[in-house]
Amino acid sequence: MSLLAKGILKGMAVTAKNFFQSYYRKERLPTVQYPEEKSTITPFTRNFPFLLYDGDDAVDGMRCTACTLCERACPPQCIYIIKDKDEKGKPILRPRIFDIDTSVCMSCQLCVEVCPYEAIRMDSAFELSNENRFEGLLINRGDLLKSNDYYHALNPVEARETDDRIAAKNALAEAKKKARQKKTRLAAAKAKRPPSRLKKSPPAREKPPQPEKSE
Amino acid sequence: MNNFFDLKLVELGRWIEAFFADFPSLKLVVHLLLCTLPLALSFMGAFAFTTWLERKGLARIQNRPGPNRVGIFGLLQPIADGIKMLIKEDIVPERSDKLFHFLAPIMLMIPALIGVGFLPLGDGLHALPLDSAIIFFFAISSLNTIAVFMAGWSSRNKYSLLGGMRAVAQMISYEIPLVLSAVAVIMIAGSLNAQEVVASQQISSWVGSGNILQEFFGRILGWNVFKPWGFAGFIFFFVAALAEANRSPFDLPEADSEIIAGHLTEYSGFKYAIFFMGEYISAFAIAGIGVTLFLGGWNGPVFSGLPWFVLKLFSLFAVMIWIRGTLPRLRVDQLMGYAWKFLFPLAILNIFLAGFYHFIERQWGTAIAMLAGWILGFGALQLAATALSRLNQSPIMRSKRVYQLVE
Amino acid sequence: MNIAFYLLALVAVLGAGLAITLRNVVHAVFSVLLFFSALAGLFLLMLAEFIAAVQVLVYIGSVGILMLFAIMLTTNVMGDPNRPVRSRGWVWGGLAVIALLAGVLLPLISRTGGQTPTPLSDFNPSVKQLGMVLMDPYFASVGVIALLLTAGLIGAVVAATGASEADQKKTVPANRPNYPNT
Ligand code: SF4
Ligand code: SF4
Repeated sequence: MSLLAKGILKGMAVTAKNFFQSYYRKERLPTVQYPEEKSTITPFTRNFPFLLYDGDDAVDGMRCTACTLCERACPPQCIYIIKDKDEKGKPILRPRIFDIDTSVCMSCQLCVEVCPYEAIRMDSAFELSNENRFEGLLINRGDLLKSNDYYHALNPVEARETDDRIAAKNALAEAKKKARQKKTRLAAAKAKRPPSRLKKSPPAREKPPQPEKSE
Repeated sequence: MNNFFDLKLVELGRWIEAFFADFPSLKLVVHLLLCTLPLALSFMGAFAFTTWLERKGLARIQNRPGPNRVGIFGLLQPIADGIKMLIKEDIVPERSDKLFHFLAPIMLMIPALIGVGFLPLGDGLHALPLDSAIIFFFAISSLNTIAVFMAGWSSRNKYSLLGGMRAVAQMISYEIPLVLSAVAVIMIAGSLNAQEVVASQQISSWVGSGNILQEFFGRILGWNVFKPWGFAGFIFFFVAALAEANRSPFDLPEADSEIIAGHLTEYSGFKYAIFFMGEYISAFAIAGIGVTLFLGGWNGPVFSGLPWFVLKLFSLFAVMIWIRGTLPRLRVDQLMGYAWKFLFPLAILNIFLAGFYHFIERQWGTAIAMLAGWILGFGALQLAATALSRLNQSPIMRSKRVYQLVE
Repeated sequence: MNIAFYLLALVAVLGAGLAITLRNVVHAVFSVLLFFSALAGLFLLMLAEFIAAVQVLVYIGSVGILMLFAIMLTTNVMGDPNRPVRSRGWVWGGLAVIALLAGVLLPLISRTGGQTPTPLSDFNPSVKQLGMVLMDPYFASVGVIALLLTAGLIGAVVAATGASEADQKKTVPANRPNYPNT
C-alpha cells in the first residue's frame, strides 16, 4: 500500500506542478491562440512549395524547365505539369501549366529535393484555406511563381547558398563551354580543310539555354 | 451566521408555498416541486459547470489552455456543447433492441436524480429525509449497473457488450468495499439517517459552548476523516466510488482507446448527452454521500450548511479530475483483484478497527482512543495492506527482475 | 394511497406475467426487475422503507444483475422459436398456483374481514426499532449468520487467490524472462 500510494502521490505532484505552473510560466503553456496571434515562423518552416524565377518577368525568368522530375517524385502525385510550346509547335523548356493541389500536398519537400534546377522551394505561408473547395485549392503557375527576392526574404541563408550553387554551376558550364569552344576552334584550326567538322559545333550552341541565364 | 443560507432557503420555500395556501391539492404539488425541481436543476447546472471545470483542469494539467472561445474563460462552452448535442442526429443501430436502447439513458438519469435526493445538502435541505436514507442511497445507486447493462446489451455491438460486461462486473465488485467502508460510519453514528450521520460529526460539547475557537474547530475536527478508521475508510470509499462512478483510473467500461466508448459506442446526439449527464450526476451523488459520511456533511465553521456542502462536493470532484489527469487506466484483472483481494479485506478490518476505537473512546476518552487508533489501529491496517499486497503479487513480481535484452 | 397501491399492484402483476410469457430472456429478466421494483414500491407504501431499500439493493441490485450477467453470456436470447411459450402441463401448474393462493391468501383475507385495518396512531417504524426487534432476541443467530456469510465471502476470495497462484507456479518456468506484471 505504501509503495502504491507513494507512486500515485508522486504522479499527482507532477500533474499539480504542471497545472499551477501553466498559469505563470510561459513554457508550460505553449499553445498559440491562432487567429489572434500567429506562431513564429522560422526560416526552416515549410508548408507548401513555390516556384522560383529570376529577374523581373515571372514567365521569362522561370527556372523550371518542365523536366517533370518533381511530378514523378511527388508521393501523393499532386503536381501536374504540361510543357510549353512556341507558336511553331516547338517545345520550350518551360511549363505551360504547373499546378499543385494544396489539399493533397503533404509538405514532404521531395519535389524540392529532386529538382536539378533549384526551381522549386518550400514556402512557409500556411493560410491557404479557400472558399472554393475545388479550384481554390488548386494553385496554378501564376500563383506559384515567386521571385528570388521573396526567397531571400524567406530564408536568407539557404537562398544565398542556392545562388552560390547556381553561380558555381554557371561558371562551370561557362568554363566547359569555353573549353569546348577552344577545342572546336583548335580542331578547326588543325583541320581547316574538311568543312564537315564545323557542323559539330551546334551542340555547343544549343547548350546555353540549359543552365539558366545567370542574373 | 450558522446555517444562514439554509434557513433563508427554507424560508423562501415556505414563502412560495404560502401563496397556494388556499388550494390544498395545489399546495402539495407545489411543495413536491419545490423539493425536487431546484435540486434537479441545480445538479444539472453543476453538471454543466463540472464539464467545463474538468476540461479546463485536464487541459491545464496537460499544458493547454482548454476551452476559451465561448464566453469569458469559455464558461459558456457547456451550453454550446448542449446545443450541438441537441441538434445532432440520433442514430439507432438497425438491429438494436430499440426499446432498451431508448430506455437506458433514462434508466441511468432517474436513479442518479433520486440518489441526489438522499443527500443532506444543509440544515433542513433534504429532499428525501428517510430514516434509512443511506442504505436507500446505496440501493438506488446500484441501479446504475442495470442502465449500463441495458445500453451495452441493446446496442448489438461487440464493444458495447464488452463495455457493459466490464461495467457490471466492476460495479458489483466495488459496491462491496463501498458499502463496507460506509458501514463503519453508520456503526459509529448509530443511525442510517443521513442528517444524524452529519450531526454525529461535530464535537457536540464544543459546538454549543459559545467559545469562538471551540465553535470553529468543533465543526471541523469532528469529521470522520480525522479519525483513524474514518481516514482509512475514506480512502477505501473514495477508491470504490471512483470505480462505481466509472471514473478514471477505473473507467474500463468506457475505455475509449480499447473498446471505443464501451456502452456509449452506439449512442449519439441527445441520448448520449443524457447518458453523460446521468453519469456525472451519479458521480456527484456518490461524492456527495462521501462528503456526508466522511467529510462532515454540511458541517463547517462560519457558513455552516449549503455553502460548505457545495465547497466539499466540488473539492472532492476536483480531486477526481486531478486523478483523472494523472493515473492511467487499470487492466481488467488488476481491477477485479484490487477490489476483492485488497480493498475488501481491508474494509472489513476497518470495521473492526472502528469498533475497537469506539470501545476505547467509551472507556477511556477521545484522546487515548485517537492515540491508540492512529498508532495501533492504523499500524494494523498498514501491516495488513502490506501483507495483502505481498500476498497478491504473482511469484514473478516477487523474484528479482532479470533483463535479458539489456546488457 | 389506494390508487398508488392498485397501480403498483398492477405493475407487479404485469411484470410477473410478462416474465413468464416473454420470449426474449433479457426482456423476461427485466420484467422480473419491474416486478421487484413494484414490490419495493408496495413496501414503501406500507412505510417499511428499510425492507424496500433491501428489496432494491438485494433483488434488483444483486440478484437481477447476476441473472443479467449470466444471460449476457448466452448467444441466442430468443431461444427455439418453434417451441411454444407454454409448456404442456401448464394447466396443472396453474391449478397448483390457484390452490396455493386459495390455501394461503384466502384465510388471511377472511381474517381481516375485507376491510383495511385502521392505522396505529403511534406507529412510527424506524430502522432503529427494526434493529432492536431483530437484534435483541435473535442476536446470536443473526451474528452467526453474518459470520457465516463473511466467512463464505472470504473463503471465495481465498479460493480464487489460491487457484491463480498455484496455476502461476505451475506454468512459470524458473528461468523465463521476467516480464513485469504477468
Ligand atoms: S511537398 Fe511533397 S507532396 Fe507537396 S508537392 Fe512537393 S513532393 Fe508533392
Ligand atoms: S520544378 Fe524542377 S523538377 Fe519540377 S519540373 Fe521544374 S525543373 Fe523539373
